Amino acid sequence: MINVRRYRWPLISVFLIIGVLLLMIAIGYSIGVLSDNPDGLERVLIDNNGESWLESLPSPWIPLLSWIESDYFAGTVGIIISVCLMTIIFYIIISKKNRTKNG
Amino acid sequence: MHIPDGLLDPLTTIVLWIVSIMIMIIGYFRMGKIFEKEDSEKLIPYIGVLAAVIFAFQFVNYPVPGGTSGHLVGGTLVAVILGPWASVIVLFLILVVQSLFGDGGITAIGANTFNMGIIGGLVGFYIVMGIVRILNKTNLKKELKVTIATAIGSYIAIVLASFICGVQLAIAGALPIQVAVPAMVFWHLIIGIGEGIISALIVFYIYKAKPEFIATESILKVK
Repeated sequence: MINVRRYRWPLISVFLIIGVLLLMIAIGYSIGVLSDNPDGLERVLIDNNGESWLESLPSPWIPLLSWIESDYFAGTVGIIISVCLMTIIFYIIISKKNRTKNG
Repeated sequence: MHIPDGLLDPLTTIVLWIVSIMIMIIGYFRMGKIFEKEDSEKLIPYIGVLAAVIFAFQFVNYPVPGGTSGHLVGGTLVAVILGPWASVIVLFLILVVQSLFGDGGITAIGANTFNMGIIGGLVGFYIVMGIVRILNKTNLKKELKVTIATAIGSYIAIVLASFICGVQLAIAGALPIQVAVPAMVFWHLIIGIGEGIISALIVFYIYKAKPEFIATESILKVK
């Protein structure tokens, strides 16, 4: 049985981060702290080859979660997947290392 | 700085995948000091929190003068918190999640891990370590030394990663090298300021809230 109390603060922190992210998405663009402009790499490619060239680059797959159009939903889902994936992988790494160390 | 699918040529893509996987395998064996401690399991939930922070900061872009934008890469930040080798694995996992949303290509995860995890994290950490050694000669408080070193180290690492990314674009034939490298470096000289400030603020906050979470103090040799 997972002791939820033990993980109270990390869980609260994750929910807080999701809350702050959603708030930032909601107001960040209108108050000017967030921007929709292309990032550094996109800017360089668009300036030299054009936006249509960048959008026409071939991809071997359709990203699994690209159907999510809402930034709010995508941010929340992304954080939950990242937290779960990272926790599981590092749980395995730490358990394996401790087991090896203890023979 | 997320390279999309179809930008790099197959050879560059494969080589960068192999290098990134090799570094992660070496990293698994080299990150012992921090993760073999008896109480290292206590770190796991906080690694989850760190994942949330990095994903959230990479998800949103801050405005940069000149009609572009930037977002946190976080390689050096993660390296200062969890160690240089773990940072490559953390960045790889974050990039896998982002590729599910189409932010960075799935075939380019190797290249993106190389730029953001290996250059941003591993190399960035050793830049921070060098700066800490210089700052050890001053009377600054320990947390200030690490915070300042993280700001400068993150900045240098992001500019270096953009230089490498420019070279990759040239090798792939997307742009001539005399265009790709100066353009990438120019924009990231500006974007990197945000990276340095955000990374430093997070490290400073952790020092105030939960200093034991900075697991690399002994490696950094901060006095």
